[in-house]
Amino acid sequence: MTVRAVFERVLRAVERWEVLDAPSYPVEHGVSLTFLLTGRYARPLQDVLHGVWLGHPLHPALVTVPIGSWTTALVLDVLDATGRGGAGARPAARTAVRVGVAGAVASAATGLTDWQHAHDQARRVGLVHAGLNSGALALYTWSLADRARGRAARARVTAATGYAITLGSAWLGGALTYRHGMGTDHAARSYEPRRFTDVAAAADLRDGDPLPVDVDGMPVVLVASGDTVHAVGGRCPHQAGPLGEGWLHRGELVCPWHGSRFDLATGEPTQGPSTAPLPCFDARIRDGRVEVRRRADWRTPTAVTAIQEASR
Amino acid sequence: MKADEVLTAHHDVLRGLLRDLAETTADELERREQLRDRLLRELEIHTQIEDELFYPAVVDVSPLLSLAHAEHRQIDDQLATVMRTAPDDPEFVVEVRMLEKTLRHHTMEEEQRMFPQSHALGAERLEELGRQLEDRQRELTRSGGMRLMIRLKRAVLRLV
Repeated sequence: MTVRAVFERVLRAVERWEVLDAPSYPVEHGVSLTFLLTGRYARPLQDVLHGVWLGHPLHPALVTVPIGSWTTALVLDVLDATGRGGAGARPAARTAVRVGVAGAVASAATGLTDWQHAHDQARRVGLVHAGLNSGALALYTWSLADRARGRAARARVTAATGYAITLGSAWLGGALTYRHGMGTDHAARSYEPRRFTDVAAAADLRDGDPLPVDVDGMPVVLVASGDTVHAVGGRCPHQAGPLGEGWLHRGELVCPWHGSRFDLATGEPTQGPSTAPLPCFDARIRDGRVEVRRRADWRTPTAVTAIQEASR
Repeated sequence: MKADEVLTAHHDVLRGLLRDLAETTADELERREQLRDRLLRELEIHTQIEDELFYPAVVDVSPLLSLAHAEHRQIDDQLATVMRTAPDDPEFVVEVRMLEKTLRHHTMEEEQRMFPQSHALGAERLEELGRQLEDRQRELTRSGGMRLMIRLKRAVLRLV
């Protein structure tokens, strides 16, 4: 069997492992309660961990710290074990393991925060990913304790075992992103429509009530407030939630699935879990009809500029 | 009553409570407190009977369970915000309206999408499930443990 086939088989099995759903909701309730206990800081804290401030998920960026440190530790351990590392190899390996442990704890916090909002198969894969990583973290912590006690040989074995588990688990983490699309942008991105296109009757707009419309099969949400009409993409970047079924809170559009909030003028997320902005459209009312056009934030060779549009 | 009718009737209670709460004025502080406490209790009971009985029963006929859980979570988070906001705070009604919209979306999703899917279970099973839901709801309303849990939750949410 090829490497690919082995991993594929494991992934399929984990995805279908419905037994995991029983512990998964209590675990989420535990995570949720922990955040609720931070009171008004619950949201800002989760946004920091999701990576709303960063513009993409923090978790995949942070995991490079434990993986990198533990790789360094592995190399130093091998040098030390074969007597080629000199006097500095052993203390250096210990420092590398310690940095990795700290990085792993931070990675776990960001991972759990993202995992709370995973559905079905992705939720199961995430739980196994978290379980394996916790096992690896426990082994490295043990290894660290052994290093302090001078039990170098056993410390190297536990670290190497932890490393193998980490690599296997990282494959599952990759599957969460590249297969299940966790943390990737699910908003409909397109340059269309380049010209103002009729989407609705102005009379259908209700002040402060999002109106879902369709532009060439692409969902768009219209929100009227006073004299202005805002138009943004109708699919949440986080997990493609239907923003047309959302609502306004303090002038921001709320996703009905996981509560991401978006600024209507800029499309920027003001609250996670979404870390990516919504696509924006220019909107105008002509002869009682609402027309929208994709807002071009840079000029592409075929884009219709505002001047061209005005002279049509 | 069938399971979906029991739950829809309870949705009406929840929507009514939220409407009443949103319509109170800043000089009806006592009424605000009372309605809010009643809402906390009813929401807690509702979530529990759905999680315990209804969702496990429809797991094979509805693909919407993950969404229902996600929406419960959003309701729970917003309820925490409402509990944390002082009844005389000018933002109180804003937060209650947010909770009202969150709940309205969730109940709409269930009533228009999940409940029709649940009809695949057959009338007999739905009647039986309805009876179980009503019994459990009555039991939880009277339960001392539930009352204690709610009091604890209220105290903790106000504290933080």
